[in-house]
Amino acid sequence: MTSTIQERVREAGAAQTPLHIAGKSSWLNAGRPVAANETISVADHSGVVEYVSSDLTITVRGGTTLSEIASITGEQGQWLPLNPFGSHDGTIGATVATASSGPLAQGFGTIRDLVLGVEVVTGDAKVVRGGGRVVKNVAGFDLVRLMTGAWGTLGIITEVSLRLYALPAQRITMAMDAPTDTRRLAQRLRSLTDAPIIPFSLELVNDELARRIGLAPRPAILVEFGGNAAAVSAQRDALAAIGTAIEAPAESWERLRATAVSAGAVFRVSGLPGGLAERWERAQSITGAGQPAMMHASIGRGTVRCVLPGELTASAAERISAPHSDDTMIFETLPEAQWASLAPSATADRVSQSIKRAFDPFGILNPGILGPTN
Amino acid sequence: MATEKLADQLAGVVGERFVLMRPSELLVYNSDGLPGYRRKPRLAVFPGTREQTVEVVRILAAAGAPFVPRGAGTGLSGGALADDVVLLGLHRLKKVISIDAENRRATVEPGVVNLALNRIAAPLGLLYAPDPSSEAACTIGGNIAENAGGPHCLKYGVTLNHVLAITAILPNGEIVTLGSDTGEREGYDLLGAFIGSEGCFGVALDVTVKLTKKPPAVRTMLADFTSVDDAARVTSAIVASGIVPAALEFMDSATIRVVESSIYAAGYPADAAAVLLIELDGLLAGVEADVETVRQICIAGRAREVKVAANEAERLRLWQGRKKAFGAMGRMAPHLVVQDAVIPRTRLADILATIAQIAATHRVTVCNVFHAGDGNLHPNIPYNADDPDESERVHLAMGEIMRACVNAGGSITGEHGVGLDKLNYIELIFSPDSLEAMCRLRSAFDPERRANPGKVVPIHSCQEWKSTPASMRDTAGAVA
Repeated sequence: MTSTIQERVREAGAAQTPLHIAGKSSWLNAGRPVAANETISVADHSGVVEYVSSDLTITVRGGTTLSEIASITGEQGQWLPLNPFGSHDGTIGATVATASSGPLAQGFGTIRDLVLGVEVVTGDAKVVRGGGRVVKNVAGFDLVRLMTGAWGTLGIITEVSLRLYALPAQRITMAMDAPTDTRRLAQRLRSLTDAPIIPFSLELVNDELARRIGLAPRPAILVEFGGNAAAVSAQRDALAAIGTAIEAPAESWERLRATAVSAGAVFRVSGLPGGLAERWERAQSITGAGQPAMMHASIGRGTVRCVLPGELTASAAERISAPHSDDTMIFETLPEAQWASLAPSATADRVSQSIKRAFDPFGILNPGILGPTN
Repeated sequence: MATEKLADQLAGVVGERFVLMRPSELLVYNSDGLPGYRRKPRLAVFPGTREQTVEVVRILAAAGAPFVPRGAGTGLSGGALADDVVLLGLHRLKKVISIDAENRRATVEPGVVNLALNRIAAPLGLLYAPDPSSEAACTIGGNIAENAGGPHCLKYGVTLNHVLAITAILPNGEIVTLGSDTGEREGYDLLGAFIGSEGCFGVALDVTVKLTKKPPAVRTMLADFTSVDDAARVTSAIVASGIVPAALEFMDSATIRVVESSIYAAGYPADAAAVLLIELDGLLAGVEADVETVRQICIAGRAREVKVAANEAERLRLWQGRKKAFGAMGRMAPHLVVQDAVIPRTRLADILATIAQIAATHRVTVCNVFHAGDGNLHPNIPYNADDPDESERVHLAMGEIMRACVNAGGSITGEHGVGLDKLNYIELIFSPDSLEAMCRLRSAFDPERRANPGKVVPIHSCQEWKSTPASMRDTAGAVA
């Protein structure tokens, strides 16, 4: 019940007790260290509030897992096309709070494009709603966007309304070798983005990741097509015109998502999509030799994600902290001690600080996860 | 500050001819695309460059002067007007700063006209997806303020889904970068909050938008029906089938008749009770298969005829009727009231029946022309605002229509914004706490609430929240 969470937040506010907000507690080491001894879990706050399948919208409580949503919507031939890294056991609340998306963002946009409405409990224990349950809505200032990616620091997400899609008649995953030479890689990426294809997913993976997901251990481009039979077959032909591609197991995507577990450091390097090949090369030099890193990149968005397994070595930390052209680095996981030097704050600007004070006046919601509190 | 002194200061920045003060000159800025609302600004200023805009906003900040940013004034919510404010017109800022075909993005000034951007993008095989029907006049800055939609937003999403970054000047004169025109950005989604803030959060100085690859194949179909109910049910059936059309537009017989008798005649069957204009796009092979599926859904739903445009000229003609329908309604009466409530798409048939009943009760003519695919209604009522009796009936009818849509689980506005027009309805869908939270968000951008005062959230919803944690603690303690 939202009122249970509200009551807990009200008590925490009165006692000035900071709260660490958790879904399934499967990704608690993500983000900057949270200065809180108490955890509030929304995992039990789960289930469907409303599902009108012919409207292709669903409203669920924040603790509902992605796999529960998949199974409920799947029965009606529908799905939420969203596969953030990690697993499908994560909750929708945590997914929205962290603005997590996966390879399907190529075809369906990110979580920001799929959320229609939210209900949150703010730091002063108010139940606040933004957006709604319909697919188009500009009423009021946009609290949905504000809460998406705020890591719970402005409110605990208790309910989410989402846009759904019909499951495609056909889906197919293809893999093709990726050139190792940067110039040739750039050409290959260019021909893929210019080709008459509208892929669901289009991801570049390095040799180590290819190996871990069961492909030949060399850099590859993974593509997923979906739609009616004619559309899938036409795209398959268009892909073949670019280079040799073989069918790959559909499970490749699940394996790709599962790779980020218990890593020493996970970060994303982003920039203009057209500069991806060069960025890929730079990211390779950042991750360096030693224990082989896993890397993959969203070709449409131009973002490279690097997963460094095991302990983060001093030399790796040094390479990460060196300036990297105009690329933007965003960290998902780091050893606690590294945050302050590598990424002290994501919300240091005046407007963000002012928003934080307005929605969490006692500073009790996930303090520190986006940077030092006010 | 006295208006004349302020005008002198502003004229010193933009030049005398770009500051208007005389009531006769200001007349055109008394209303926007919804002529039922009139408000009188104290003066209007039209900066010609980014630098001038920055200076103007800073002068207004120093003077503590409330202001209303305005693009082309085509908005349909009474959003770009207010009494006794400085009207800040941005239509002269129409530089296209850069077009990056490889990365599919463009950076433009806020006064660039939507269609002008599309004309530049087209030769590169690209398009800017949001296509409000006022695209030939409305500006990107105005589109940002209202989070504008359009027919093709069914598949491609609204303005929000197509903006990567904005450099904005806040009402206090501070310049901020929202979003990122290169990579990802961490932290609060201030860009998402700014888009659709109806001019209450600040003024965009430049905007970087996503451009979309033109789909290889486009098919436009017209299905006509002898019953409104059948057309509504077919709409729901197409949505439920899982096919996402690029656009799915509905026009009823009142709209068809007025369009067909105007210079925008599109060849819609004049005796139809309703037509659906359906556009499918994507890869040629897939689109052909979807056209066949949609055709079968229409026939099964008792469509009288389903026509597919044979060429681009036919396609454009079919669209002309839809895009110019609001204009054509000018033939019926001097004024037009336009609503844009959104309902769940499964509720179309019963809400349209309710609207017909409400229209009959209040003896008004409702022309329904709307984005059926996403449930975004536009029940329009042509009327004479100088007739008090008729105006009252129109007002009552609109209020009942709005309540019916909200009761069906909908929203009060899908793309036009709240502005002044829906200020009285927003409490139907948001609780006092939610509205107060929206005020808090606004205050982070504009603590003095000088930008577009009195819009979106009623003033009484914005109770001053306690600014210090200590006093909050006392309050919370008392409640607990």
